[in-house]
Amino acid sequence: MTEFGLRLAISLTQIAAVMGIVVITVLILTLAERKVLGWMQDRMGPMEVGPYGILQPFADAIKLFFKEDIIPAGANKFLFTMAPILCLIPAFIGFAVIPWGPNQTFEVGGVTVRPFVISDINIGILYILAFASLGAYGIILGGWASNSKYSLLGGLRSAAQIISYELNVGLSIVGVLIMAGSLSLVKITDAQEGWFWDWFLFKMPAPQIFAFVVYVISSVAETNRVPFDLPEAESELVAGFFTEYSGLRFAFFFLAEYANMVLVSCVAAAMFLGGWNAPYPGTFMGLIGLPSLAWVENTMWFAVKTYSLLFLFFWLRATLPRLRYDQLMRFGWKVMLPIALGNIVVTSLAVFFYNR
Amino acid sequence: MASTTTTKRVNLYEWFKTITFYEILVGMKATLSHLLNYRPVTLQYPHEKRTLPDNYRGMLALLRYDDGTEKCVGCDLCEAACPSRVIRVVSAEVPGEPTKRYSKEYYMDMTRCLFCGMCVDACPVDALGMTREFEWAVYDKRQLHLNKEQLLAIGDRSFPVREKRLELQHPNVAFFNVAFKHVPPKPD
Repeated sequence: MTEFGLRLAISLTQIAAVMGIVVITVLILTLAERKVLGWMQDRMGPMEVGPYGILQPFADAIKLFFKEDIIPAGANKFLFTMAPILCLIPAFIGFAVIPWGPNQTFEVGGVTVRPFVISDINIGILYILAFASLGAYGIILGGWASNSKYSLLGGLRSAAQIISYELNVGLSIVGVLIMAGSLSLVKITDAQEGWFWDWFLFKMPAPQIFAFVVYVISSVAETNRVPFDLPEAESELVAGFFTEYSGLRFAFFFLAEYANMVLVSCVAAAMFLGGWNAPYPGTFMGLIGLPSLAWVENTMWFAVKTYSLLFLFFWLRATLPRLRYDQLMRFGWKVMLPIALGNIVVTSLAVFFYNR
Repeated sequence: MASTTTTKRVNLYEWFKTITFYEILVGMKATLSHLLNYRPVTLQYPHEKRTLPDNYRGMLALLRYDDGTEKCVGCDLCEAACPSRVIRVVSAEVPGEPTKRYSKEYYMDMTRCLFCGMCVDACPVDALGMTREFEWAVYDKRQLHLNKEQLLAIGDRSFPVREKRLELQHPNVAFFNVAFKHVPPKPD
């Protein structure tokens, strides 16, 4: 019982830490997106709250907390309440299997603790994909339960889009899985140790460059970001599936969208860009005789990779206009899907002949 | 995707540009160059304001001569010139000076004003001026119905440098609306 209690306490601590990091990242992202977008468009972004507007996320959070929570007439109250939660939980739950730092363990009272991953389950990436698809329910139900045509259209578009691009995400990472021989993100990251050309993006015998491009494009589409933001196209459908939401429920959708962005960036970093591995073998901390602090460097590399991918999201948003709906579907099914399938075939053959 | 409009033949160069996202990369380079050469064009409005041009047509005001007397002679020409019927003038004789007139009451309904400046053009004695004030947002629309005192106050704060009386400006100026017994001696 005490061992169970200890395990529970450790897990809850880890969960709280990861949740805290993710929420702080989301806070930073909401500001960073507006700032980067502003700078790219010769604007300043938020400047009023705090010096250079750095306290803007807190102002937004306080505003959303105290806003009136409106349930529209004719809405299905149960589903209307459930939808944001259904959207938020899958976005956060995927972080359980992301390895943030080196795969090391230490003992606390007879319990083995992995400090940088909440749980290393052997179907890690499958678990993330499964829950990411579940997030679509939140969006669809939110769109349907609002009793508004804009919400419904946004939800429908979102359903079609997420299903189409979820497929490409799933197929594009199969190449990585073939090369790593495991579904566990910890093992996948461990398999990319060494120089940066040992990352699966560049690794011989089958560099996953095409898979990476497909993954990035599809994950942009999956998180409903520009240029694939048709579910929340503000010029067509007021705000898409969360048109009728306000206050904390809207904040939940908002949080879920940004948490999803962080999640797909983490997965991309872990699967294609070597996760917490530095682009050189070992760590500088190990070289200068501080191997116990190597995890700092490794987690920093993970953060750098994740944030670079998140910057790419903002960059795309600043650059590209929205796709038309038929273009979106054609691009997903006729371009991305064949590339992902071809990548699987090429990778399988390459790995097969390389290993003989 | 790769076929051009004129020919069905797949242009290898175009195809290569398509699969490398060449066009998108060009656009992304443009946005990144704006990020790196960050030169914002916006002004943080309430804290910093742009310099307004001298001929800026802002809030209307009534002016005074340098001795503090009102310029307005109550001729109603501004009222006639105004396309939006902003101005209402009640003209009257100056008590005790039968040849001299002034505006007894002067109202402007600034909710209707379109800042065309025609009243300023119409005024024969330059009694109206356009200031560079533009921050006239109010919570109550009735606050934009201005009377003579308010308009004079706007003029006082916006035009600190006042003209001399008309008849003192130049020896040959044609003067009117001046009681004859008060005509001052012409300056040498």
